[in-house]
Amino acid sequence: MNKDENALWSIFGYLLSGLLVWGGVGWALDRFLGTSFFLLIGLVVGAGAAITIIWFRFGRE
Amino acid sequence: MLNLLKSGEGFTPPGTKDFDLPSFFNNSPYFTKPILELFLAVILISVFFILASRKAAVVPSKLQFAGESIYGFVRKGLGEDIIGPEFMRFVPFLFTLFTFILVNNLFGIVPLIQFPSMSHVSFPYVLAFFTYGVFHYIGIKKQGFGHYMKGIMFLPGVPKFSYILLTPLEIATYFLIRPLTLSLRLFANMFAGHLLLLVFILGGEHMLMSDAIGLKVVSVFGFSIGIVMTFFEFMVQCLQAYIFTLLTALYIAGALADEH
Repeated sequence: MNKDENALWSIFGYLLSGLLVWGGVGWALDRFLGTSFFLLIGLVVGAGAAITIIWFRFGRE
Repeated sequence: MLNLLKSGEGFTPPGTKDFDLPSFFNNSPYFTKPILELFLAVILISVFFILASRKAAVVPSKLQFAGESIYGFVRKGLGEDIIGPEFMRFVPFLFTLFTFILVNNLFGIVPLIQFPSMSHVSFPYVLAFFTYGVFHYIGIKKQGFGHYMKGIMFLPGVPKFSYILLTPLEIATYFLIRPLTLSLRLFANMFAGHLLLLVFILGGEHMLMSDAIGLKVVSVFGFSIGIVMTFFEFMVQCLQAYIFTLLTALYIAGALADEH
């Protein structure tokens, strides 16, 4: 129960920070370069990185 | 609000302005209802637990039983089960957090008070700041600064080149997202809950005060949903106090664990 609850909230945190950090980087690039695709790439990369972390932290038991 | 109701004007929906309560004294921002509630909470909790623990007996009185149940719940369910062997050091902190947040939340539905102080975002920020300080301090003290940071930043077992993607995420999660979600979760739940109650009860009042007889009848539904929502809020308020403390315990457990 302890492990599951821990995992639940941590997973939520990682997903959120993945989208925010790399999505934020993409948004900033878009803003300074005047493009419009870095935000999308950033969001995808962020979600991917977050899922990677979750996989390696919680998925190997 | 009252003027509008008397003149039969349109309904003004409750909004953020309903959370800006006037100051009691001298327009000072230090004498408002939420601040008063904080002090009231401290007094209530102290009096309750002093009374409950003063005449500790082997066969507990009702009061002692109530006090010990709450303490036992925090100690066993949040301390021992989650933090592990070193839990005893953190029980006072967890217990204070839990009771303080619980009482402050419950003020949202206690008649005549009816304002959850945690619906002002600065209070959850301060509480989350304590949690933040405690779990990082514990981690650094237990594992050493370098080792603790290394555990946060470098996930073992992934290819080296992926650290450039993963490390910013780990840092953001530990140092930004955790305290932020901790405080915003509590704040948003209390804020939304209070707004929900305002909508149904002020809406019911508005319909009751209106001239049309049909609206007067329908206002019963507004009030009854308001009452149902009050019970729902009771549940949410207990749950949020529990989750805040649970996450604090989980973060402390994570900082203590050497596994990363």
